[in-house]
Amino acid sequence: MKTWHRYVICVALGLIGGAAYAVQLVRGGLNDGLVSSGPWETGKSFGTVDASTLTRAKVALSGLLALPAQEAMYFTATRDSNGRALDGRCTYDVRGGTLDGRWWSVTLYEGEGWLVKNAAKRWSIPASAVAMDAQGRWSFTVSPDAQSGSWLPTGSVEAFDLTLRLYHPSADIIKSPETAQMPAIDRKGCA
Amino acid sequence: MMRRWIFPILAGGLMAFGAYQATLLATPYALMQAALMKVGKQGPANQFAFAPMTTADNQTIVRPSPDLSYSTCVFDVSKGPVLVDVQPVPDHYWSVSIFDARTDVAAVRSDRDTKGKAARLALVKAGQTAPAGYEPVRVGYDRGLVLIRILVAPASTFPTIDAIRQKSTCKQV
Repeated sequence: MKTWHRYVICVALGLIGGAAYAVQLVRGGLNDGLVSSGPWETGKSFGTVDASTLTRAKVALSGLLALPAQEAMYFTATRDSNGRALDGRCTYDVRGGTLDGRWWSVTLYEGEGWLVKNAAKRWSIPASAVAMDAQGRWSFTVSPDAQSGSWLPTGSVEAFDLTLRLYHPSADIIKSPETAQMPAIDRKGCA
Repeated sequence: MMRRWIFPILAGGLMAFGAYQATLLATPYALMQAALMKVGKQGPANQFAFAPMTTADNQTIVRPSPDLSYSTCVFDVSKGPVLVDVQPVPDHYWSVSIFDARTDVAAVRSDRDTKGKAARLALVKAGQTAPAGYEPVRVGYDRGLVLIRILVAPASTFPTIDAIRQKSTCKQV
């Protein structure tokens, strides 16, 4: 083997390996270097010049055109409160209280962040769609089957995530997202 | 034998690092470019396109909110500043955000910032000046996206909101 053969082999492997590693990290989802509160995870630097190269690439893939934290925060859950991956064939209770911001909604996505087709044509539960009790507590059901009360259909997809948008969050949540009182996600059973 | 491989392996390692960095750096530009092309199909540059409410059947941008109405303008400041006038929607959250070619936010103004009044922004690059009455927003690249979000809740308010937002304009000076 000639010297230049060795260079060609190593350089080619390096180029492919480096690019493939970057793609794998970017596609790995927004899971590392993030702040979590219960099953919900968020980043502090979406859409800003402070974002690292890797965070910017990840947000561009799964949250393109996201707003900075003082305007809106995006909390995403891919697991229930017991750490099990969210499964569209299961039924979940999502229970929460007052969220410290102007307005919120919870949207169900599959894959990199696409709305799931369902007969009810419902893809999110906004704050205005839940009944609050005297203490400000509310709940809704995430399920493949129609439910009484507020229901967010899963379309029976294998895996999904929930994104909670909090518009105009309080200064405390922007500073310390991990202290936000986020809803619990409890699995009730699976089909 | 091994010694013959040391420099080729070092060269490969350098290439791997370079390719890793280049891929990460290029990703936002590439994805933004794809988004500008997708959104650009909805209308010409420097003009708002008023999209219908998002459903599972008409998604253009990843992770859309079905509770927000989106209006988009692909801007291009290469031939002059672009003026953005946003008609306020009373008693509803709304915001206008400017994204550059690298996906960074150049500016966001919401009804909280304008205290319910109209937002008037002039997108300018180096050497351009904003006309009187417009807040200048400096953009680092010629092209990017203007996005208006308006909270539509309950859903029945959409026709009213739609009529108001159609008065918003995006135009080159």
